[in-house]
Amino acid sequence: MFEARLLKSGQLKKILEAIKELLKEATFDCSDSGIQLQAMDDAHVSLVSMCLKSTGFDKFRCDRNLSMGINLESMVKIMKCCSNDDIMTIKAQDNADTLTIMFETSNQEKMSDYEMKLMNLDQEHLGIPETNYSCIIKMPSTEFARICRDLSQFGESVIIACTKDGVKFSTSGDIGSANVKLSQNSSIDKEEEGVTIEMQQAVCLTFACRYLNLFCKAAPLSPQVILSMSGDVPLVVEYQIEELGYIRYYLAPKIEEDD
Amino acid sequence: MGITGLAKLIADFAPNAIKENEIKNHFGRKIAIDASMSLYQFLIAVRSEGAQLTSADGETTSHIMGTFYRTIRLLENGIKPVYVFDGKPPQMKSSELEKRADRRQEAQKSLEKAEEAGDATGIDKFSKRLVKVTSTHTTECKELLKLMGVPFVEAPCEAEAQCAAMVKAGKVYATATEDMDALTFGSPVLLRHMTFSEARKMPIQEFQLDSVLETMEMSRDEFIDLCILLGCDYCNSIKGVGPKRAIELMRQYKSLENIIENLDTKKYQVPEDWPYKEARRLFIEPEITDPETIDLKWIDPDEEGLVKFLCGNRGFNEDRVRNGAKKLIKARSGTTQGRLDSFFSVSSTPNKRKAEEAKAAAEASKKAKKGNYSKRGRAK
Repeated sequence: MFEARLLKSGQLKKILEAIKELLKEATFDCSDSGIQLQAMDDAHVSLVSMCLKSTGFDKFRCDRNLSMGINLESMVKIMKCCSNDDIMTIKAQDNADTLTIMFETSNQEKMSDYEMKLMNLDQEHLGIPETNYSCIIKMPSTEFARICRDLSQFGESVIIACTKDGVKFSTSGDIGSANVKLSQNSSIDKEEEGVTIEMQQAVCLTFACRYLNLFCKAAPLSPQVILSMSGDVPLVVEYQIEELGYIRYYLAPKIEEDD
Repeated sequence: MGITGLAKLIADFAPNAIKENEIKNHFGRKIAIDASMSLYQFLIAVRSEGAQLTSADGETTSHIMGTFYRTIRLLENGIKPVYVFDGKPPQMKSSELEKRADRRQEAQKSLEKAEEAGDATGIDKFSKRLVKVTSTHTTECKELLKLMGVPFVEAPCEAEAQCAAMVKAGKVYATATEDMDALTFGSPVLLRHMTFSEARKMPIQEFQLDSVLETMEMSRDEFIDLCILLGCDYCNSIKGVGPKRAIELMRQYKSLENIIENLDTKKYQVPEDWPYKEARRLFIEPEITDPETIDLKWIDPDEEGLVKFLCGNRGFNEDRVRNGAKKLIKARSGTTQGRLDSFFSVSSTPNKRKAEEAKAAAEASKKAKKGNYSKRGRAK
């Protein structure tokens, strides 16, 4: 038996919004430590890794490890039926082929439940090695979303160059080129509005704007985003979800032709 | 051609080994294409009003058309193709080739009949059966590929074997052919429908040899024996042994030697002097060029050369050819998107439930068969 109760269903709504455009379907692996999801997009360019800790839920029970294959589009449809501060409960039997999602309004006057069919999905887990990243950049998630959106008007790919002084995003295309430079600033009162850079070595990598824009859909989950980069390895874009866990996106860089 | 019924067998017994994907999901990969197979496809499929495309003086150009546009399509999707041509056929294939020649003659006769009767569908059907890839076709294609800047390899013997060796050596990601015997030759990955027309919207089928072997619980040697039992190009198979029986026999006896020893000779006739050992050797140690010595280079196309080669006599539209050359240059320039699975290793967990279902189905059919036999026994 699996049961998880979340006081704010809006949180899960935002999570689904943040992954539904990269993944059509995904397997949610439930264990007594929480819910995990790891999946690549169809093209195998990016990967979503999500972790929701059991302690972040109001109530969490998982007797046996359970893998639920979920069509995300269907789940989004169900999540549209609730309002953000409804209390939600997810339930499934061991070896079940359906999942039950219940919503109750905070004044407990309205209860609704939805049942969704589960699917059998081919799981392709990737082993992600522990990496000491050369650069770790923390910045406001809205700022990052803004930069990605702005630059994607000019070109298909963006070059992210990180040095001691700051981080530079640049692109060029048919109409011209664009550069955005952010310098470190931690002097502002609010920590989450600052830009901090931890750097061991300067890094410069090229990434597809399209994917960065899709990652930015997670901005409502967290005021801050953490970018981790090292030479010639995938970029990690991480959003911490308050009290609940995190979503990490991995993106393979664009590479220069070798032949 | 290839191995009789292997694709269906894999679909039944190891469905988790087959994946279907769009062509664009293979971007960034180098893929070895079995050229004879693709040329054959083009000769059959690239037609206008049922007849092959021809140049002003009646020479077929279907294969050139196909190679030109579908190679461009592959490159536009970020795939780097390398064409592998057949060398001389192995000695063992001669009987198979004779059979094919016979069939061709029959088709020729039927075609004449159909022409006499004015049966249009018949003409279409039999003229397609008459299609043969000649050495002119392959030389023309090699010339075209050279102009397009796409590399090709001439295999000393069977192209599938050469492709398989290149995949194993990590030179390319997969073999693209319709012939299932690429798997028997040990190609870790086989792609089907790669050179099909875009209009058919056929997804690319991907076969993973490792998962086939794992799910069928077979070693590679057992798999090769199974393929010989199913029917390959190099020797006959045992009459009366179909796919289901073949897999049962392999599971029970594990090798062809054991099967021959234990087979009920009243029911099944093992061909006299059955050269299965030679066929097996061909699959295990085929004649190939060492993949390490092959240097694959994709270079810029020669636009003027292409125009000269394709337009003029062969009657291609110059604008379209120049357009194609531009696409080739564009596909080459700039950076290419990396694949995440080339950075992180895939620890694929095969879908347990699917595999179990397949197993259960196999068991069930086994039982059903056994039931049949016993009934038959009682009737006697």
